Amino acid sequence: MGGLPSMMPRLRRGSARAGRIDRLGWRAGTCIDACGLRVGVRTNAPALLDRLEPHLPPGWRACASPLVDQIFSVWVGPGDARRPTRVYAGRSRRVRTANLARALAVLESEIRQSVAAGAARRTFVHAGVVGWRGRAIVIPGRSRSGKTTLVAELVKAGALYLSDEFAVLDGRGRVHPFAKPLSIRGASGCDRHAQSRCAEELGGSCATGPLPVGLVVLAEHSPGATWRPERLTVGQAVIEMLAHTVPARLRPEASLSSLERAAARATVLKGARGEARELAGHLLRSVEEMESVSRRGAGEGGTR
Amino acid sequence: MKPVARRDGLLIRELKDEMLVYARDEHRAHCLNRTAATVFRNADGTRTVSDLALLLAPQSDLPAAEAVVGETLARLAEAGLLQGGPAAAGWSRREVVRRVGIGAAILLPAVASVVAPTPAEAAVTCVSDCSQQKDGTACNCYGEPICDATCISGSCSAGGC
Repeated sequence: MGGLPSMMPRLRRGSARAGRIDRLGWRAGTCIDACGLRVGVRTNAPALLDRLEPHLPPGWRACASPLVDQIFSVWVGPGDARRPTRVYAGRSRRVRTANLARALAVLESEIRQSVAAGAARRTFVHAGVVGWRGRAIVIPGRSRSGKTTLVAELVKAGALYLSDEFAVLDGRGRVHPFAKPLSIRGASGCDRHAQSRCAEELGGSCATGPLPVGLVVLAEHSPGATWRPERLTVGQAVIEMLAHTVPARLRPEASLSSLERAAARATVLKGARGEARELAGHLLRSVEEMESVSRRGAGEGGTR
Repeated sequence: MKPVARRDGLLIRELKDEMLVYARDEHRAHCLNRTAATVFRNADGTRTVSDLALLLAPQSDLPAAEAVVGETLARLAEAGLLQGGPAAAGWSRREVVRRVGIGAAILLPAVASVVAPTPAEAAVTCVSDCSQQKDGTACNCYGEPICDATCISGSCSAGGC
């Protein structure tokens, strides 16, 4: 990673301009690369750059060139209600607020979503991901479907943490870490009581490299349910995961290819689940069984 | 009747025993099982239902296999993968089940479909702007989160962001 480079970003030739936003008097900027997408951030308040780093996408790298694919702009107001801080994605205003922390939270979310949609060499699937015995367990699902709770239980049980928001697939169907602190909601599912927890706080650690997908879990939480999943075919798995795939419409061919490669080597289970802790144990054992079968198949024998 | 499967604007991926079809105009993806894939692949306007039935199950009872082809065509038509739309099929499912019986049940077609999400629908954890969002989408004002609020008629139920 390293420090943020100080340079005013410019859009690549052919990119949509930001119109009058370009003339608001930007005084400082920086450029980063996240999953192959080049992102620029500019501001009228140079001191803002010192606060930017924690809000950048996991795995970002500094860019040497000011030419970028997308520009985000933060116009910092003096803090009064009449001239609030504004955040723009391109020419579109995303928030207008007197609260700078809130503006930075919006910027962070907008950049992450932009990377998820625009990273040409990666396919982002809305999912939680952990690693166990050299394989990834991918848990696709919508917001509030219990992904993070399940990821947290898996991490507490010793699994490596990769992400609680996106499974980042490459063209070979491997999943890359995209680890930001887990956002764990309160017992009522309430955002107001959400806490950011690092994997280390839960007794786990983060994966450092890509893993092949071993297990895909499509689990709907249903209180009291017993986990009796059905096993999906590769095609069914691709269809289920496509429903959570960010660039599905933008790059359907690449998305289908990545999903197919991921699903082809994985066991894909779908069903209703009860409590996350109970399911976490089942899932880890499933991966262990897969590992043992694959070892026997390869005739390796021995123990790790 | 010589059915014709749609070919224009489709992205097709052959899998082992299955086929994935993505319709670019509707942003709908379909997974066809072996039976549905066989009929879809061979419904090119030169083959009758009987021809397709023979391709599907050369050893089995022809009327039963024709019933399966009829059911498959109905499902392909529902998915928008048949030229001429639903009228081209014209078989009732009850009739198919009656004709096929348990013995040939393995031949029954399956077409699973999904509408591909927009990037915003797929990526969003909670939205800050309820305009153009479906009712029920979770809304959240980022640094000022709202408990259990959802988008309703373009506004956040807890008062908006």
